[in-house]
Amino acid sequence: MARVAAQGFSWRQFRVMLRVIMRGEQHLDSTGMGLGSDGESRKGLWGSLGAGARKVAMGLLFLLLAAMFFMMGFMLGEAGTTPYVAFSLCVVCLVGLTLLTGLYQAVNILYFVRDLGYYLTLPISATTIMWAKLAHFLGMSILSDLIILPVGLGCLLSAGAGPGVWVAMTLAFALCAVAVNLALVIVCVPIMRFSRLAHDKDRFSRVFGGIIIVLVLAVGVGSQFAFQGDGLASLASGSEQLLSGGVPAVVMGLLCPPSLFARLVVSGDALAAAGGLLAMLASVAVYAAVLSAVSRRWYFEGVQALQGAGGKRGRRVEGAELTQVTRTRGALAANLSRDWKMMARVPVFFNQFVLSSLLMPLYFIAIIAVSVAVGVSQASDAGMDPMALLGMARELTGLLTFDSPALVWCAVVVLVFGLFLGFSSYSFTMGVSRDGEDFFFMRGLPMNWSAYLAAKFVAPFALSSVPMLVLFVVAIVALGVPAASGAYLILVYLGATISLGLLSLGLGALFPRLTWDNEAQLVKGGGATLMVFAGLIVGAVVMVLPALALLGCALWGVFAAPVALGLALAIFVLECTALAWWVLGPCARSLSRRERS
Amino acid sequence: MIKIDHVSKSYDGGATTAVRDLSLEIRSGEIFGLLGPNGAGKSTLLNMLAGVLAPTSGVIELDGVNVATNPLAAKRNLCYVSDSPDHLLRLKGHEFLRFIADVYEVPDDVRAQRISELAREYGMEGELDNQIQSYSHGMRQKMMIMGALLPDPAVWILDEPMTGLDPKASWLLKQSMRRHADAGKTVLFSTHVLDVAEKVVDRVGVIAHGDLLFVGTVDEMREHFRSNGSLEEMFLELTSDNSPFAQGEKDGAAAGETR
Repeated sequence: MARVAAQGFSWRQFRVMLRVIMRGEQHLDSTGMGLGSDGESRKGLWGSLGAGARKVAMGLLFLLLAAMFFMMGFMLGEAGTTPYVAFSLCVVCLVGLTLLTGLYQAVNILYFVRDLGYYLTLPISATTIMWAKLAHFLGMSILSDLIILPVGLGCLLSAGAGPGVWVAMTLAFALCAVAVNLALVIVCVPIMRFSRLAHDKDRFSRVFGGIIIVLVLAVGVGSQFAFQGDGLASLASGSEQLLSGGVPAVVMGLLCPPSLFARLVVSGDALAAAGGLLAMLASVAVYAAVLSAVSRRWYFEGVQALQGAGGKRGRRVEGAELTQVTRTRGALAANLSRDWKMMARVPVFFNQFVLSSLLMPLYFIAIIAVSVAVGVSQASDAGMDPMALLGMARELTGLLTFDSPALVWCAVVVLVFGLFLGFSSYSFTMGVSRDGEDFFFMRGLPMNWSAYLAAKFVAPFALSSVPMLVLFVVAIVALGVPAASGAYLILVYLGATISLGLLSLGLGALFPRLTWDNEAQLVKGGGATLMVFAGLIVGAVVMVLPALALLGCALWGVFAAPVALGLALAIFVLECTALAWWVLGPCARSLSRRERS
Repeated sequence: MIKIDHVSKSYDGGATTAVRDLSLEIRSGEIFGLLGPNGAGKSTLLNMLAGVLAPTSGVIELDGVNVATNPLAAKRNLCYVSDSPDHLLRLKGHEFLRFIADVYEVPDDVRAQRISELAREYGMEGELDNQIQSYSHGMRQKMMIMGALLPDPAVWILDEPMTGLDPKASWLLKQSMRRHADAGKTVLFSTHVLDVAEKVVDRVGVIAHGDLLFVGTVDEMREHFRSNGSLEEMFLELTSDNSPFAQGEKDGAAAGETR
């Protein structure tokens, strides 16, 4: 192919391509970095207000996190951590985060793009296309990576550093961010050219999405312990050691060459800082040259390999087998089966709604297991028998009877836990939106919309609430809570999760988002992030009345314990009944009338 | 039978109308072709018939059932093939057909046999176990057509059904439409391919700018134009900016003549 042979970089074509990409390229998947536009445009005053509000909310969230990291850095500085050590922590986190999610994001940006097949037909060199895409990717990556920098800046404030050091650290961090992303793409291009896994987008997304979810949960578990005591300071000190020498420093140097010059920039005098920055810039330039060479050789070939990749073929289904696989089902079963298959077979939905829900109990099991192990170890060190401790705990839980305020407090704890589950309630909220354009296909069918919504409730409830319920029951049995009290706490848990799920589902049905281009656009990005936090508000709404009833006994002494416990449960029963009616009635009717906006 | 009575549709609160005061009756046992240029209002009209869009004003009845007031009963009499076949792409072919059969409550004792026949007829026997997303455009279109034929509806509505079909599938579809109409059922389809319309339809309706400009047989159309030209030439004249019918609509005079 003559065109492929001419792979020189064209600055003019680069600008044209970058403009096109930034204006709204359709991704088969998405970056998930949460800072870009979600690509959906809404018309009218409400549309612009909604988009504006979303940007403001995202900006506030970003600032909130940045402020939190800044304070963290300041506290590190106050505890005696030097700016270089804090900067090392920033760089190690940057490299870790990029390794965690970067390859998936880079592949999405560079390869899984719907318009890529069209680009193949244009007389534009592979190097130019790749650099245009890479520039877009780097811009988005650096924006999201900047969230980590305030840790270093906070430490600078604590150390009373001058403005020059602030600028030098910011520039150094930006160069580190560029370098680590370039390194990642240098690895990514040959993988996409030669790996079979990468050519199957579904498998690739499933594998890498799964790895990301597992690692994120692992980081979550680890952070429970890292942020206790002097964990953060130890983490910072460990980061410094990683950059200090030996094999770790070589690995870090390969992944992020500018990190080798970080000490010069952050801790040196002005001349050393300038020299360090120049060295960082040079290392970035070297990586850019390597990437250019690699992409000239393999990028287009990788793209072409993707275009020809196909899914695996099924068997021939006929006769008795066909009769078996097409036998009659009820409306609920038919909708449930369809919804489940669509959710489990779309990698983004699978990772977001299935895998993460199933891993959530493991997250708690890990925390409980580690806490128990630490507790047992400490008890043994103190000369106490762990079994005796368990016996004491069981004796205490044996006192949880209906006239005991302790049971009321336990119910409050269950409500707080239910509120925490509000974070995952967006799997209910997204139920209808997940169907996207398919929804309008179903609008043309004689659908039973109540059964449709009931199916939308069953799948996420089974995934998010049932595994936690099993864990909950095991904990109640292990701790020897009396059967009646245990059953009561389980009913409170069910009341909290069912009402939370129904309200979230109903809201999602009344305000569905059906006009997305790709699945990741729906579950990632700013809107989705806000929805996760909005789940807390929904949780608070359904739990406020039962909580007041319980606190009326526990804090204010207005009710006797049995009255408060009964009232809380009765409120949940009423709420669940009313919400079920609302979802299966008015919300279902609203769906049966919904048109494209 | 499809009865459309003074139906209008506006997407912007009445500032503009996609379909304007349209009345039409399509009899049982008839294949009716809806012709019109891009943006004429064909898809809007078909979407209203399928109950996907609600008319701003007017009444639509399918076999005597009002689509707006009794949508579920109306839709049980109707199968609709939209202009895009990219639906439920993650389902396998047999899963899609089973879902459709469940929704339309196709009896257990006939569904597998009917699926088998349709798959054989449309050459999809070897594809039923594959996800629809792995199909080509034409195969997806075939799958949507099979889904629409599976419940054996009284009214069959198809929006640009020939798009992407290979010659054999296109011929099969025309045969299916003819068989359907001969069984006393109603077929309504929109198309850009005028030759197809000329060969298949019993009557045509020409729509442009939301107005129904002409309803009748192709021969009546020729007679009307006193032309021996092709349907394409008549269509172009009818829908042109200088069309006497379009002008008549604006004046509110020619509507009665053309219907």
